[in-house]
Amino acid sequence: MNSAVEINQVVKAYGDRVAVDHVTLAVPTGSVYGFLGPNGAGKTSTIRMMMRILFPDEGTIRILGEDLHAANLDRVGYLPEERGLYKKMRLGDQLLFFGELHGLTRAQAKQRAGMWLDRMGLLDRVMRPVEDLSKGMQQKVQFIATILHEPELLILDEPFSGLDPVNANILKEIILEYHRRGHTIIFSTHQMDTVEKLCDHICLINQGRVVLEGTLASVKQRYGKNGVNLRFEGDGSHLKTLPGVASFQDHGNELFLRLHEGVDPSVILDAARGRVSLTRFELAEPSVYDIFIEQVSGDNR
Amino acid sequence: MKALTVIRREYFTNVRRRSFIISTILVPVLMSLFFGMPVMLAMFEPQQQFRLAVVDETGRIGDGFIAALTDTLKDGRQKYLATLAPSQGAHYSAARDSCVALLQGKGLNMVIAIPAGVLDGEKASYITRQDRNFNVMDRFEDALSDAVLKERLAAEGLDYARVRQLTTNVELEMNQLTKAGGVEKRSFISEYGLVFFFVMVLYSAILQWGMTIARSITEEKQSRIIEVLLSTLTSRDLMLGKLIGVGLAGMTQLLIWAVVGLAITSSALPAIAATAGAIHVSPVVFLFFAIFFVLGFMLYAAMFMVVGAVSSTDQDVQQMQTVVMLPMLVPLMSLMLFMQNPNGGVAVGMSLIPVFTPLVMQARIALLMPPTWQIALGIALMLITIYFAVTFAARVFRVGILMHGKRPSLREMVHWYRMAR
Repeated sequence: MNSAVEINQVVKAYGDRVAVDHVTLAVPTGSVYGFLGPNGAGKTSTIRMMMRILFPDEGTIRILGEDLHAANLDRVGYLPEERGLYKKMRLGDQLLFFGELHGLTRAQAKQRAGMWLDRMGLLDRVMRPVEDLSKGMQQKVQFIATILHEPELLILDEPFSGLDPVNANILKEIILEYHRRGHTIIFSTHQMDTVEKLCDHICLINQGRVVLEGTLASVKQRYGKNGVNLRFEGDGSHLKTLPGVASFQDHGNELFLRLHEGVDPSVILDAARGRVSLTRFELAEPSVYDIFIEQVSGDNR
Repeated sequence: MKALTVIRREYFTNVRRRSFIISTILVPVLMSLFFGMPVMLAMFEPQQQFRLAVVDETGRIGDGFIAALTDTLKDGRQKYLATLAPSQGAHYSAARDSCVALLQGKGLNMVIAIPAGVLDGEKASYITRQDRNFNVMDRFEDALSDAVLKERLAAEGLDYARVRQLTTNVELEMNQLTKAGGVEKRSFISEYGLVFFFVMVLYSAILQWGMTIARSITEEKQSRIIEVLLSTLTSRDLMLGKLIGVGLAGMTQLLIWAVVGLAITSSALPAIAATAGAIHVSPVVFLFFAIFFVLGFMLYAAMFMVVGAVSSTDQDVQQMQTVVMLPMLVPLMSLMLFMQNPNGGVAVGMSLIPVFTPLVMQARIALLMPPTWQIALGIALMLITIYFAVTFAARVFRVGILMHGKRPSLREMVHWYRMAR
């Protein structure tokens, strides 16, 4: 399987602070790739290097099979985390501008912008300056600007932040459409449930280093499948320190316990019985959320 | 080329801006008002006849005074209809009072009372109901002075016409040696006014459009559009696009003003054309104006780009642009100095310092064409400086546009310059 993005031993430092520390990863063509990590982990720096906004101090990056400096970034669509549009510019002009910047002709840009605005329910605003639109609408406009040139690789930094569930779903549908057509999508997000549902590959980066990388299934495999999800009333704190428990995540209403390989989950059930009143007990594989929290807090401890 | 897309955006954004449209229209209107006001006032002066009664205690001045009031209105009627009231000796104050009483009716507009002492410097009076017309008053003063002077001279046995002739002032006519070696007549006031006008327009145009660039960069920085822009085009293309797009918008405005100006002076309003037409400007001056606008704009825009790139907020821009404006203010303040001697050492020296060249050389060209080699050298030095300024700006721009927060020091900027490729 060839890769849409290949990053090899990339280093980026700002003065003394190393933001990206020998990162190596490969984004398979056609995948939905979740790029995860806590704030300040080096995600944005890595993405900016892919987009040639920043230059790596060391290492190589290949985009869509070409060396970064030669790559045609018009084949990439980039939605930065911090959004921006020209406030005073009309919605339609804005989309034409970004379309043309990405190599579309004016006619193409016009036709596609019309199609997308219609689909997003923004066609009647086409002559309005962007500052007249609501935050959510601006978000949708920015998304259209990102995909107008039908990029083969889509890099989305927190695409759903600030969107209500209805609009988030519209975006999700479009992203899935892109995925079905064989395009590659890189997601950088903190919304773990989204990652769980949408991504087939993930990469977890912390303090500038890759902590985990691979298909979602393989990561979970590597992490160990043996876990228990509990919901109960009463004080269950003793459960966290039982001998078979490798680690735990206390979600408040729910407790997730990861067990050592070969530990029988019924040990937990026995220990809980009588001490707390159980409302739920299930065998579970760790969620991306659990993996994230454990990896990140473990490393930062 | 992607710079073209940026050029188009910058151009249309600026040309469609409300402030652009307003200033494009308003400036010629204000200018023609300024130049045409005196003429227009004269044009719209009410065509009114004034009836006045002259009460003359001397018995010798009144006739001469009335005879001097030969002014006519546009339709050929007499402007002043004056009647001499019979008022010899003791009757003077009585005659004056009865004339003043007549002012109550509509038949009389004003009374001029000339006391006997007028020949020895006493004041005459001008009595009116409400028409406080200063032009009319000035006119009467002149006519009265003339009549009194004539009378005084006659008393001394001197001939009025002869004395007038003998006491004529001498005027200096301004002439200048042309390149060809001939002599050319020049008018002092209008020409210096014109130089001032050109320099001011050049100064404000360069400044205005330079600041536009700084603001447009901070806007993209603040709104983070810059990240999307840089992912699809090089900072070089972005910078080039901005320079050309904004520069063209500035040129458009200047061109509109020039066309409107020419249209007015060449025909439309004859009265304004009369005043403006007296000022003759050679097309060469306009040509150099265009050249120095472009060069000056490029140089200062490069500096303003650095300002925009290192600023995070509009306040930052405002504070920093003062520094960039300073070199523009120097020639403006020393304008009088080198206008007095446009080919002197100070003028020549300043016109060859690139940051001063546009304003100073333009002023010199408008005043007295400098030697060709000086113009060529000035332009060449500017081009070299522009090249370095743009290169420096491009590198600082590349790094600065991604930086937020604290404003960098000059040392950091130099560091950015080194690390940018």
